[in-house]
Amino acid sequence: MLLKEIGAIIPGERAGGAAVETEVSGVYTSDLLSDVMAHAQEGQALVTIQAHKNTVAVATLVGLPAIIICNDRELPEDMIESAAQEGIAIFRTALDQYEVSGRLWEAFKQ
Amino acid sequence: MIVRADLHNHSCLSPCASLEMSPSRLAAEARAAGVGVLALTDHNAAFNCPAFAVACAREGIIPLFGMELNPREEAHLLALFAAPRLALEFARRLEPLLPPVPLRPDVLGDEVVVDADENVLELYDLWLGAALDAGFDELARMASDAGGLVIPAHVDRPAMSVYSQLGFLPEGPYDAVESIGPVPRALCGEHAIISGSDAHYPEHVARRPFEIELPDEPAQALRKEQVRFASDCPIGSFAVGDNDDRAHRTDGELMVSMPAKGLARTFAPVSAGAESPLWEALLVLPCVTKYPEGSARDFMESFRAALHEKKVKPTHVSRPLVL
Repeated sequence: MLLKEIGAIIPGERAGGAAVETEVSGVYTSDLLSDVMAHAQEGQALVTIQAHKNTVAVATLVGLPAIIICNDRELPEDMIESAAQEGIAIFRTALDQYEVSGRLWEAFKQ
Repeated sequence: MIVRADLHNHSCLSPCASLEMSPSRLAAEARAAGVGVLALTDHNAAFNCPAFAVACAREGIIPLFGMELNPREEAHLLALFAAPRLALEFARRLEPLLPPVPLRPDVLGDEVVVDADENVLELYDLWLGAALDAGFDELARMASDAGGLVIPAHVDRPAMSVYSQLGFLPEGPYDAVESIGPVPRALCGEHAIISGSDAHYPEHVARRPFEIELPDEPAQALRKEQVRFASDCPIGSFAVGDNDDRAHRTDGELMVSMPAKGLARTFAPVSAGAESPLWEALLVLPCVTKYPEGSARDFMESFRAALHEKKVKPTHVSRPLVL
């Protein structure tokens, strides 16, 4: 799935970097960064409420092209800057983790 | 006497801290701001505590030696000890709990072990910001059993705090609770509330200290011994090496490509593990073995008692507590 397709499924705003044609291989949902570090796979999008710069660092380490921030959590300026620098896309949505994961699960099944 | 204290500060060992934050720079900035009791609390490690002992003695500041622990829940916790040896030995027990995530300095920053003269001793190569494989309660108990002061850190921060991760403060052997602003009972219980700078850059030092009322005698006794200790650890006494490698001179340029100098020349590569020669080298340094532990323990106990009696006045910023 391409980044722009995620944008079509998940309503909200976009920040950070990464081209719309970037390929996303799957999804990992977690609010514990150490768990993301241990279990997320390169190429996946991360669904989380952890709206801060550390999330971008972990995404960079694991190789996650996108972070989807749920519940309309506010994005700190340094998080957006860091994501732009690292070429990681951020989606911010009012949906919660369950709903976002469900929508993406359906989309990836097709 | 009323003393200004600041118990939450990072040095260049923390990957997220400025390379300019050598222990000696931290101590100098703190003294200039009138801080009398200062703690070093790098993430999950204490390698810069020997340098901090010397730096504080030179500046006439009383040090506490600690670390900011990152438990499984990712709610941060300060653990503070009276002497560099005690902090190093406690931190050594954390190494097996640190997940072996190699440090990528280009993404996460450098982790630089230095001496009190800003010679680079070692570059640590595992990411110290990772969560330890132990729970919040477990680490609090470990630190308390080892005789440390235990203080949940920035409990009202919107990330990496008991507030963001748990929503409440679990019961535990705490000596105080650190917050950035005023907090409700659910986040501090009956404990004394202190403020802390969480300094990562020189300009952050002493931005949120707290005042504490301490008995004169233990502090004065320790200060006297610190003067002798400082003369036992003259400049250049524990690093061989080249002063051109001063951490503060890098001005934010990474040292990733720079080979570690000084003592590090005699070290095997640091790959953590309890048998790391870095530990052996640090634990036998004069600034560790000659530290006045007896009077330092007495002082820390007087400090603990003052915390329990809530003889403290935090510097809180007023801001709404929102998640």
